[in-house]
Amino acid sequence: MALRRYTTSIDGTIPAPALVYSDEEVLASQDNVGIYDGLQKAPDHQNGTIHVTSHRLFFVHASRPHALSFAMDLAHIVRTESYSGLFSSSPKVTLILDPDTAYDDITSISASTSTLDIAGNVGVSDQVNFASWTCEVCNHRNPPGLSPTAAKVCALCGVPRSAVPSSSSISSSLPSSSSLPTSVLSTRTATPDIPVKGTTSEITCPACTFLNVPSRTMCEICGTPLPISTAGASAKSAPVSRPVTPSGGGPNANESLIKISFRKGGDKAFYAILRRSLKAQAWEGRRIGAGTPKGGPGSGQGTTMAGGTADTGAPRRLGIGIDAILRNVETSAQNTEDDLNDAFKDLDALMIKAKDLVQLAEELNEKLTTSSSTTTEKFRTDTVPSFVSSAASSTVSAGSSRYEQFTATTLVPSTEPEEATFIRSSLSQLGLQMANAPITADMIKDERRWVEELARELAQVLQGSPNDFGRSRPGKAGPGSGVGIMKRRGIVALDEVWGGWNRARGVSLIPPSTFLQALPHLVTYTSPPIQTRTFKSGLMALHTPPYTHTAFAARLAGYLTIFDGMNTPQVAEEEGVAVGLAAEMVDAVEQDGTICRDDLACAIVGGGAGGAGGAGVDVRWVMNEWEGYQWDGQE
Amino acid sequence: MALSSFTTPSGFLLPSIHSAPPFFTEQPNPRTQAQFTAQWTRLILTYARHRKLFMLRVEDAEVAGGDWDEILRNERINRRILPSHLSSLLDTMVASEQAAFEPPKQSRAAIIYWRTPEEWADALHAWAVATGQLNTILTFYEIADPPVPSPLSGIPIPLLRRAVTFLVKSNRAQIISVADGEGVRLFAAK
Repeated sequence: MALRRYTTSIDGTIPAPALVYSDEEVLASQDNVGIYDGLQKAPDHQNGTIHVTSHRLFFVHASRPHALSFAMDLAHIVRTESYSGLFSSSPKVTLILDPDTAYDDITSISASTSTLDIAGNVGVSDQVNFASWTCEVCNHRNPPGLSPTAAKVCALCGVPRSAVPSSSSISSSLPSSSSLPTSVLSTRTATPDIPVKGTTSEITCPACTFLNVPSRTMCEICGTPLPISTAGASAKSAPVSRPVTPSGGGPNANESLIKISFRKGGDKAFYAILRRSLKAQAWEGRRIGAGTPKGGPGSGQGTTMAGGTADTGAPRRLGIGIDAILRNVETSAQNTEDDLNDAFKDLDALMIKAKDLVQLAEELNEKLTTSSSTTTEKFRTDTVPSFVSSAASSTVSAGSSRYEQFTATTLVPSTEPEEATFIRSSLSQLGLQMANAPITADMIKDERRWVEELARELAQVLQGSPNDFGRSRPGKAGPGSGVGIMKRRGIVALDEVWGGWNRARGVSLIPPSTFLQALPHLVTYTSPPIQTRTFKSGLMALHTPPYTHTAFAARLAGYLTIFDGMNTPQVAEEEGVAVGLAAEMVDAVEQDGTICRDDLACAIVGGGAGGAGGAGVDVRWVMNEWEGYQWDGQE
Repeated sequence: MALSSFTTPSGFLLPSIHSAPPFFTEQPNPRTQAQFTAQWTRLILTYARHRKLFMLRVEDAEVAGGDWDEILRNERINRRILPSHLSSLLDTMVASEQAAFEPPKQSRAAIIYWRTPEEWADALHAWAVATGQLNTILTFYEIADPPVPSPLSGIPIPLLRRAVTFLVKSNRAQIISVADGEGVRLFAAK
């Protein structure tokens, strides 16, 4: 019912900018909205575009803009509420309307009877202003098209308009904006935009006898005021045709609210603009002085003003002065805070829910892991007995999941049943595979155990899954499947290991200090044992037994003997390590004195130019064969 | 790698290590370098004695054509000693009193003590005795550049002065100022 009591019908075929008053402006538009009349959907207004202007709301129906569009003054709105929507429910903006400003049923010609009395249902308050009028005091001709408030006073001298022909049919409960109607005549005729369908007769100009269209107040030719159209009056005074108002006309809560449902979003922006528009109170805008509505010179219409008008008007008239600015700032700050609080509440709720979900996934995964690990281990002991080492059996579960982390999807030990595989893959796709999750400090209380667990994890990163040893994995021959950093390389610099590990972890990255703490434990969890080595330059590297100093020195001696001297890049190539690392290793051997260098800078021709220390690449390594050199030269 | 010794045109027998390229490189490893330095020192002293060379300069390693080319360079293996290496060799030799910088307070040139000053003192005394020049006053130039070649021919004056100083200490000589410089009178051993 609210819809009928607060809105006036408009012709939606006219674009919104053309419908507005001259001092009104369209602020925002949103299509795909529906209207709720009270708490129920308004069946006729389920798909349309809503425009908010500085003064009014326009609803333009999508398919029948002519018949089912309406406008509503923002002045009716007491309060607004926003609802952001949930699941299939669209976001909505609720407008709570002031029951006191509702149009009386007499004046608000029902929107549903639209087409017939089109002239009449262009709400009274609107029509009042579409006439131009001449100020009695200054004789200024005020232009038509101003908003009701603006039209109440002379634009030039500010004196309220007084000569209002008392309209018979306008009730006493009109809102303030309509308290200064010119006449029914002007009401009727001042809306040239609205096509008049039910035209009964043209109005004959008394001066020039030109037949004017009924909507005119003055002769189109000579400007003489036209007599009142009887047809319009009859339409106006035809309350019989309107639908019967529900009895007990006292507005209840349901009736005095309208909801706008945003089917395709846009509610946030729209709501913000609506609020701003409400705050700005443009419809109060050009009122002169505080007491104008009541105490103006035109006291003649005092009777037409309902008490409600003054009551609702007063609290809204705050848009003046510093006080209002401060109040605005306060209000917006308050709004922001409320919004934030709401948002955080939502977040908290979500976190609680998510925790449950994660826990569930964790339990499920743990069960799967225990069952699968027992089967896999059994399988391994049966088939590859030679492989079983203590490290492997203890890390099998973590190993399998680490493997999955590398391949990023659904890979599990092949002995797992199909269902388990499926569940696990689902979990991992949800990002909930807990056994995969990197070990973090808060998972383990004890510092020592934390470091040891890290070492265990690092061992997996370095050596890959123990499952990879010994047996082939059908269908899992993808590139890099489960291969650790050091699977094929005997020595890797620490920075690379650190980077690789943190990349594998992805979250909760390990700081270098913790990394260094974990290193000494690494030897326990790796097979073959991986040890740390610090070179003279401070470079640290992890290496397998073949890359210990002595083993390398022995190999290097072999190379040098065979090839009769090599330079560092050649050594690096032979060993399959980075040149920098090779240089460090060779330097370490040189420290022993078992090899010595032959700097090409010492060449007489070619090689180093003039002995400027451009050594490095030019250095050839040869065995030091002069340890116990016996002088064989001239005595 | 079969290295062998080599006889130079001047008749000097180079040791086999002189044919090893690393020998010419200054080794960062101090132990290895110590070995090489010992061989270099011995080589330098031996060659200096062979050629009766007294002065070794860093410049000798920089430019070819000097007296020391036969040991500072090895054309057969395309290697030469770098001046910086030679300089550090000189430092080591001076530190072990196998050489002395001359002039003092620099490190670019040194007198190679292929005989120690004491040995030179003995040689000087023996020469004086042999040539019957005891109790006569000899200028340093007469000793260093005698009309008849002697073992002391070409000896640098500073080295000669040090040798004489030893003789003075053992009362076998007396330094006498003469008109054109310094003179020395040698006595018979007591």
